[in-house]
Amino acid sequence: MSDERYKLHPVSAFINFVKGLKELIIPFLVIFGVNIFREGGISGMFTGGWVGMLPLIIGGVVLIILLVAGIIKWKRFVYWFEDGELRIEYGLIIKKKRYIPFDRIQSLNYTEGIFHRPLGLVKVKVETAGSGKIGEAEAELTAIPRIDADRIEKKMEEAKRGVQPVDEAAVENGIQEEVPMPKKPIRKIYRMNMKELLVLATTSGGIGVVVSAVAVFLSQFAELIPYDAIYEEVMLFLRFGYFIIAFLVFFGLLIAWLISVLLTLIANYQFTIQRDEDHIYISRGLLEKKKVSVPFKRIQGIKITQNPLRELFGYATVTVESAGGSVGDKEEKIRLFPLAKTKDIVPILEDLFPDMDWSPEMVGAPKRSVHFYYRLDLLWMVPVLGAISYLFYPYGLFSLIVIPFIVLIGIWQHRTAGYALGDKQITMVFRGISKHTFYMMKKRVQAVEVSQSVFQRRKGIASIQATIKSGMLGATARVEHMEKEDASNILAWYEPSNRKKEAKEKGRPEFSG
Amino acid sequence: MENQPRNRISRKGLTVWRLYGTIQTTIFTLMMVGAGVLTYFLDGPAWLYGVFGGILLVYGFLFIYLFPKIRWQRWRYEVREQEIELQHGLFIVKRTLVPMVRVQHVDTEQGPILRKYDLAEISISTAATTHIIPALVTAEADDLRRRISVLARVAEDDV
Repeated sequence: MSDERYKLHPVSAFINFVKGLKELIIPFLVIFGVNIFREGGISGMFTGGWVGMLPLIIGGVVLIILLVAGIIKWKRFVYWFEDGELRIEYGLIIKKKRYIPFDRIQSLNYTEGIFHRPLGLVKVKVETAGSGKIGEAEAELTAIPRIDADRIEKKMEEAKRGVQPVDEAAVENGIQEEVPMPKKPIRKIYRMNMKELLVLATTSGGIGVVVSAVAVFLSQFAELIPYDAIYEEVMLFLRFGYFIIAFLVFFGLLIAWLISVLLTLIANYQFTIQRDEDHIYISRGLLEKKKVSVPFKRIQGIKITQNPLRELFGYATVTVESAGGSVGDKEEKIRLFPLAKTKDIVPILEDLFPDMDWSPEMVGAPKRSVHFYYRLDLLWMVPVLGAISYLFYPYGLFSLIVIPFIVLIGIWQHRTAGYALGDKQITMVFRGISKHTFYMMKKRVQAVEVSQSVFQRRKGIASIQATIKSGMLGATARVEHMEKEDASNILAWYEPSNRKKEAKEKGRPEFSG
Repeated sequence: MENQPRNRISRKGLTVWRLYGTIQTTIFTLMMVGAGVLTYFLDGPAWLYGVFGGILLVYGFLFIYLFPKIRWQRWRYEVREQEIELQHGLFIVKRTLVPMVRVQHVDTEQGPILRKYDLAEISISTAATTHIIPALVTAEADDLRRRISVLARVAEDDV
C-alpha cells in the first residue's frame, strides 16, 4: 500500500472559515445589536473614538483568527492509506491521529454543498459502527475531489476483499457475504418522479416549522414592535372588516407554506435509490447534493408511516432503522422513500429485502379491548372539560365536542392495531394519529416486553412491545390491548429455548401476587 | 401469561425499599409541616391541619408499607441458558424477555444503603435497551454477572 499522503482541497480552508462564522453569528448579533441601542446607534461606534470602536476591533480580530484557524486546519490535515487503514492526522497544538481500519468502515457518505459543486468536490463522512465510544472512530473530510473519494472507496473495497476479515460482522451476514463479488454492479431501483415530489412537498408538515420560526422571530422582536400604534391601526382596520384580516392571515400562512414546499423540493430533488451487493445508496438534493449509503447488514427494521391524509390517497413514507452511525446526527433515521404510493413501494421493498414478508396476515386486537383505547384519555379529560365548561359557561360546553373525537380516534386505533408472526419476522402495526407499520427480523429484536395493567388483567388483555436498535438508541414498536394469548404467543415465539411452547398447555396460574 | 420467572429478589430488598419510602416520607413530612406553618401564619381554617395530617398518613402508608410490598411480591427474574426473563411493576405488570445473544454487557452497582444491606443492583444492557434487577444479595449479583457474561459470550451473532 502506498504511503502517499493526501491533502484536502484548499477550499476546505474557506469552508472551515464559513462554518466557524456560522457558529459565531449569534454572539455577533448580540454585540452589534446591543450597540444599536447605545446612544448614537451604529454611527456612535465610529464617532466614539477608540472605546466606541472596540466591538468592531474585537469582531475584526475574531474574524481574522477564524480565517487563520480555517487555513491551519486545512494545512495540517492529511490522510493516507496504510496497513488496511485509513489514517488521518490533524491539529496544530494538539496533534491528533485517527486510524480507521477499512473493515470497520460501515459507509462513506457524500455531501456536495454549494462550495463543492462548482469545483467537483465532495465532503466525505466516514461512518463506523462506533457503538459505545461516542463519536469516536468517525472522520470527516471537508472537501476532496471526486477522484480522491473514489480512490478511498476503491482502497476500502480492496482491503475488504484482499484480507478476508474474520470478524463477526462477516459471520453474521453469512448468506450475503459468502461470495465476495469481484465487481459490484450498482443498479438503480427507484427515482422519485415530479408528481410524488410535489405531493410530498405540499403535504409535508414542514409548514409547522416555518410558522413556528416566524412566531419565534416575532417574539424576539416583540419589544421593538410599537403595539399601541399597531393597536390603533388595527382598530381602524377592523372597520374595514374582518375580511381583510382573514385574508392577511391566510396570505401569511400561504407564504409560509410556499416556503416549506420550496425547501422540501430543494432537499428531495432527484431522490434516487440505488443498490449493489451489500449497500443501499440514497441520493437527493438540488443545491446540496447528499448521498448516503446504508449497508444491508446494519438495517434493523423498516417502518412504513402514513398520516391520515396520505393514507387516504394511498401514499406512505418508509424509514430504515439502522444501527450505529454518527451521534448527534439528526438524520439518523434514513428515509428510504420520502413519499410514494403504497402499491409502488411493496415491489421495491421485495426487491431490496427478499427475505421479508411485506404483506403478512395481521392478527387484530380483540373486540372487547376497544374501550381501553379511549378510556384513559377520557378519564383525565373529565376534570379539564368540567373546569372549562364551568368557567366559560355556556360556551365552555362546546369543549364537550372533543369527547366523540377521542372515542372515534380510539376506535380507529383499535381497528388498526395488529401484529403478524412469521418464521423469522415480526410485523406490528399501530396508530397514534398516523399509522405505523414496523417490519422487524427476529434476530434484530433486542427485547420483547409484555405489560398488563390491573384492568387489562381482569379482561385478559395485554400490551406488547418490541425494541430494535436504531441509531445509537432503540426504536420501539408497541401494540396495545391485544389478546393475552397473543402476548404469550409472541413471547414463546421470541424465546430462544422455546421452553414456553411445551409449557403452554399446562396453563399455570398467571401473575400471582 | 403462564410460567412466572422463578426467582424472587432478596427479602432485604423489601427492607431497603421501606427505608427509601421512609426517607421520602420524611421529606414529605417536612413539606406538610411547612404547609401547616403557612396555614398558621395566614390564619387558615383549622380543618386544613387535619387534611395535611391525613394526606401524610396516606402517603406514609402507601410509600412505606403498600407499594414496596406489592413491588417486592411482583418482582421476579430468571436467568436461563439462552434468555433472561424479568417481571415487575406496581400497577402495570411488565414481563420482559431478553435473549442471551443480545446482551452486550452487565454491570453491578451499589450505593451506600444497598451496601449496608449487602445488596447490589444489576443492569443488563443490550444494544438498545437496559434492564435492571434492583436488589440482589451481592454474592448472588456477582455470580449472576459472571454467569450472564459467560453465557452472553457463547453466541456473538448479529449486532
